Amino acid sequence: MRFRRAMAAGALLTSVALLGTACGGSGSDTPGSGSGTVTLWARDSQKSFINILADAWNKDHDTKVKVTVVPSANFVQKFGTAAAGGTGPDVASIDLVYLPYFASTGVLDDITDLANKLPYKDGLSAAHRRLATYNGRTYALPFTAEASVLFYNKGLFRKAGLDPDKPPTNYAEIISAAKKIRALGKDTYGYAIAGQCGGCNVFEFTPHIWASGGDVLTADGKKALFNTPEVTDALTFYRKLYTDGSMPAQSKTDTGTIQPALFQSGKLGMTPLGAFFLPVLRKDDKVDFGVAPLPGRNGGSASFAGGDEIAVTKNAKNKAKAQEFVRWATGEQAQTVLAQNGIVPVRTDLIDKIYTPLDPRYKVLAEAMEKGRTPYSTVENALFNDNNGPWVRMINRAVFDGDIAKAQKEGQQAAQSIIDDAP
Amino acid sequence: MTAPHRRTLSRGGRRRLTGIAMTTPALAMITLFFFVPFVMMLWMSLHDWPLLGQHRFIGLKNYRHALHDTEFRTAVIFTVKYTLVTTPVLFVLGLALALLVRHKRRGARFFQAVYFLPVVVGLASAAFLWLFMFQSDIGPAGDLADHLGLGSRTTNWFAGSTSAMLVVVSMVTWKVVGLQMLLLLTGLQSIPTEVEEAARIDGASRVQTFRYVILPLLRPTLALVLVFSVAGSLLAFDQFYVMTGGGPANSTITAVYEIYRTSFIRFQLGYGSALSALLMIVLAAVSATQLLLLRSSDR
Repeated sequence: MRFRRAMAAGALLTSVALLGTACGGSGSDTPGSGSGTVTLWARDSQKSFINILADAWNKDHDTKVKVTVVPSANFVQKFGTAAAGGTGPDVASIDLVYLPYFASTGVLDDITDLANKLPYKDGLSAAHRRLATYNGRTYALPFTAEASVLFYNKGLFRKAGLDPDKPPTNYAEIISAAKKIRALGKDTYGYAIAGQCGGCNVFEFTPHIWASGGDVLTADGKKALFNTPEVTDALTFYRKLYTDGSMPAQSKTDTGTIQPALFQSGKLGMTPLGAFFLPVLRKDDKVDFGVAPLPGRNGGSASFAGGDEIAVTKNAKNKAKAQEFVRWATGEQAQTVLAQNGIVPVRTDLIDKIYTPLDPRYKVLAEAMEKGRTPYSTVENALFNDNNGPWVRMINRAVFDGDIAKAQKEGQQAAQSIIDDAP
Repeated sequence: MTAPHRRTLSRGGRRRLTGIAMTTPALAMITLFFFVPFVMMLWMSLHDWPLLGQHRFIGLKNYRHALHDTEFRTAVIFTVKYTLVTTPVLFVLGLALALLVRHKRRGARFFQAVYFLPVVVGLASAAFLWLFMFQSDIGPAGDLADHLGLGSRTTNWFAGSTSAMLVVVSMVTWKVVGLQMLLLLTGLQSIPTEVEEAARIDGASRVQTFRYVILPLLRPTLALVLVFSVAGSLLAFDQFYVMTGGGPANSTITAVYEIYRTSFIRFQLGYGSALSALLMIVLAAVSATQLLLLRSSDR
């Protein structure tokens, strides 16, 4: 008797549970998501323009684009988990450095044909095109560009007796200018970096190495080049800025929040940052600033080609429309919207028409973008962008602790073992 | 004859049913949020399981790798160091505060509330608050140090591994000590005052009363508080993630931080699971030892 009741209760519970899952099943499988919307994931750092762009599309298309903004710091994890679980978006705007990784794992749709048919194919940023290619196939289109340059405070340059129209063009000139600016006052600093930020240091430090003729990875991404003489020179350059006292104490532990704020406060002479910072400073309208290319040891210049690519996901429910949107995003209308919102366009064929006329300083950024470079690796995140990864660790220890040779040797080992362990 | 018999049976059955009904939600929750993920974790730890892409069975290879993983070893050593610093600080301060607010003096209630207040602040929020306070050039802690002659406004507290850890330990103490106080207070209040009075009449001093009467009677609570605080410290993550970001130069990466990096920066979920399983074994062993030590000395 007792047993039978327990059984009955059990059966009841089971049926309730089944009912529950049945409801859940039908709920998650909403019909219609394939008919009229394309879902787009972007990072919160793109908040300023991504909705304006979606609105521009939605105004004259029947298919609507729905934007979801994901926190920048968690984008890779969130997108990776969602893609693995089949709950990802139709279209994703992805930081180009992660493209080889996502392409290699098969979560992105192969859009080689679409890319090859674009009439302005060769006008798209070369670095973006390279990063979107995996095993000869194309998995994304260039979307937004970023370039790393040197921002300098013209007011402080004048005060220190430096020519505000002649920014430094090699390591020695930066070191001496920083020293003169530091001498202006107790709270005035010459040069600041974000010493504990991976993204910042791949973006701002590698250009010095490239401009001096070196590199950080071999072209195929299979060998780390952390222990090369060009890296030593660049580390020595940063170390000197620190030992001279030109760098503030916060630089050692800055994860990227202090560096721009310091420049905005008007108490920092020079800092390497990206194109995104220019509209911010323009809006502030407090600091009289100039923009210069990041130089190599004895001159020359280079830039990191950053920004985003836009990709259709493998599990996209609305592939045809998603592809149409992705193509539209590289077109003149969309790229003009980006330019007007302070983003460097990826169309080198249009840049002089839609971007550089907006601000004389944009010319430096446009040129930097066109010859920008990006390390290609499926483990870029673990090598460079990880705030505790080998790249940041090497820079941090070399610059602030001083044993450059040891930092390079250990950095090289750690980086190579990450590359070797990659699947 | 049969009727009352059946009624008692069915009453028993009903009670049993009620019992099942009442425990089911809890069991379902535990199954869903503990047992299922736990078994999945163990299963994943036996695989090469990237975040995206194919996984394959590799047996105990992850565990063998973990034993030679120098980065994980460094993280574990740091975690132990952190635990050894935090636990006594929290414990002594918690006990001192509990003794202070134990008696029903005026204001005791008020101070109880004040000491307890930080406990209700979220750990991440508290970490951000302290991160700001100790930020060089802008934080009030630098100003204070300047006035007291302990340092200058431009001192970067997070630039040295020891000072960075001490700032985190201070934050955690401020945040958690109230809870320890409250737990110890309930323990203290369960000790009958007669015992203490008897000791006093027998001529025991304050210190002797504390050492030979109160502490032994407090043992069950001590066990609870210690297990609590050691487990919490061994699982530390948020405070370091927010305040030091693992720096300077990776010197403040805890075991859980390393698991996070393995899983979500290197995307090796399988290896991350293996590290989690190892951490869990250590945690279970440490807690069991603590409980055993504090119980067996009872006899």
